[in-house]
Amino acid sequence: MRHILLLAALVVAYAGVPLLFGGTPYILGLIVAALTIAGIAVAWALLGNLGGMVSFGHAAFFGVGSYGSAVLSMKLGVPVFPAVLLGGLAAALASVAMLPALRLRGPYFALAILAYAHIFQILATEMTPITGGAGGLLSIPRFPVLFGLDLGGKTGGYVIILTIVLLSALAYDAVRRSAWGLALKAMHDTEVATRVVGVPSTHLKAAMLALSAFITGVVGAFNAHFISFLEPDYAFSSTWTVLPIAAAIFGGYRTVWGPVLGALAIYLLDQLLFKPILPHGHQMVLGVLLCAMILLSPGGLLPALRRRSTGERHAHA
Amino acid sequence: MIELTLQALFSGLLAGGYYATVAVGLALVFGTMRIINLAHGELVLLSAYIAYAAESRYGLNPVMAIPLALLVVGTVSMIVYALLSRIRQDREINSLILTFGIGIIMTNGILTIWAADIHSTTNPWFQDSLVIADTLFAMNAEIVAFVGGLALMAAVYWWLNHSWQGRAVRALSSNRNAATLMGVNPRQTEILSFLIAALLATFAGVAIYTGKTVFPALGHVLTVKAFIITVLAGMGSIHGVLIGAVMIGIIESLTVTYLSASLQELAGMLLFLVVLFVSPSGLFGGRRALAR
Repeated sequence: MRHILLLAALVVAYAGVPLLFGGTPYILGLIVAALTIAGIAVAWALLGNLGGMVSFGHAAFFGVGSYGSAVLSMKLGVPVFPAVLLGGLAAALASVAMLPALRLRGPYFALAILAYAHIFQILATEMTPITGGAGGLLSIPRFPVLFGLDLGGKTGGYVIILTIVLLSALAYDAVRRSAWGLALKAMHDTEVATRVVGVPSTHLKAAMLALSAFITGVVGAFNAHFISFLEPDYAFSSTWTVLPIAAAIFGGYRTVWGPVLGALAIYLLDQLLFKPILPHGHQMVLGVLLCAMILLSPGGLLPALRRRSTGERHAHA
Repeated sequence: MIELTLQALFSGLLAGGYYATVAVGLALVFGTMRIINLAHGELVLLSAYIAYAAESRYGLNPVMAIPLALLVVGTVSMIVYALLSRIRQDREINSLILTFGIGIIMTNGILTIWAADIHSTTNPWFQDSLVIADTLFAMNAEIVAFVGGLALMAAVYWWLNHSWQGRAVRALSSNRNAATLMGVNPRQTEILSFLIAALLATFAGVAIYTGKTVFPALGHVLTVKAFIITVLAGMGSIHGVLIGAVMIGIIESLTVTYLSASLQELAGMLLFLVVLFVSPSGLFGGRRALAR
């Protein structure tokens, strides 16, 4: 039963959505953007839930990934798909520079990562020969035509980002279920005791940071080739930090699918409902949502709904 | 060359004065509640915009707007406190995200009401320059902000060391349980620290409006800067905050003078990272380690 449902969901996601919205590129574009946020939100949740670290600097990984991939494909002629993976790798490499921050906790880690994000943004602006500086990069190669499907278009982009998000969520799930996940959960409860029994806590945290950075970098690289344009203020914009956090908190960052559903809900609501009402300050609604979730249901919406439905089932039994 | 350097040092010193008033508020609240209020810079920003509204709409001198700004900022600060004190589980992570959200609400609220334009006082007196010893230039506003900020911080310093309530704030910062057993009311003391932080934020906001320019995104910048300064200082030392703030101010103005204005933020950030990694408990003997 579960498998059939899952299969149906996949068919709807891969075939139904493009068929339904293929004629309305605007809506499909919004969904692609929402999935882009979803990818970062999954990466953020992985670091927050498993690593126990709040990051205010995921824009850094997003930016490094997008510039890495764009520069590789434009200046060195690397084909787009390998370039996207290398972009993710570049972001993971950038996270190595952040390793010293791992011994910081709570607010110190969060703001140290924010400082890194600022530094990367300034570097991208100043390294004009490679990144094109503040003027940005124009006409970044788009995704190629593969098996008769134009991956450079809206529908192709949708299929690619959907696959990236699904794979990221599966990776998150796999890590969570693994022995690593157990060790990380134990670390969340009491780090000292976990270290005493021989869990290499710093290595595990570093691995989570690198994985989170890699996913975010791949998503950033996808976005660069999808919109085919980059500039530092856009690639390192705090939007890439704020929206994923709101999405992950809203959906429930301790679940695998919460961040994805949260991103879809938040981004589409934001663009279709709040932006027309409040053209300039529509992010205010995100702030309200963040505060409301933390105060009313800190676990997020998905666990709250699940609790409710299982509660009802018990009542019936 | 020497003149240029001296001028940079002097401007940095003056900037450090108002950075310090922002940072001391953040540090006080962190002391009593162990929470970094990520909406602190937005409180400063709110005060600046109230001064702007009072001046542009009613032709009021920005300094005269301080009582009104204090009332508004104090109220908002109390709301922040009330919301924060409702957090029960995962306090460290959730308080960060909650205050982050409040900051987003305030920034976008200000953006909605006053638009994204850059504002500065229209009162010419504040922008008249003052020449000291024939070589050092400063605007009247900068001098007023520096002297006023120093006086305010001296008052807070005295209060922390000599009044019963001020000592209660320090007691709560150093050992919450022991302080409570000695008859310190934790809630009352926390509220007090939030109110003092609001007072300092109000003053800093008006100072920035008269001496610099304000725009909605500034709040976030100020929060980060204040955090960097408290890390440099080591939590729980007011004179450390003052020295850290002046250091940041001077480094920034030297960077602007000799390198490029676009690198201004970079210098502070790099210093912050270096200090975090080399000496996580700050430069001025914070007793408590910031890191594990």
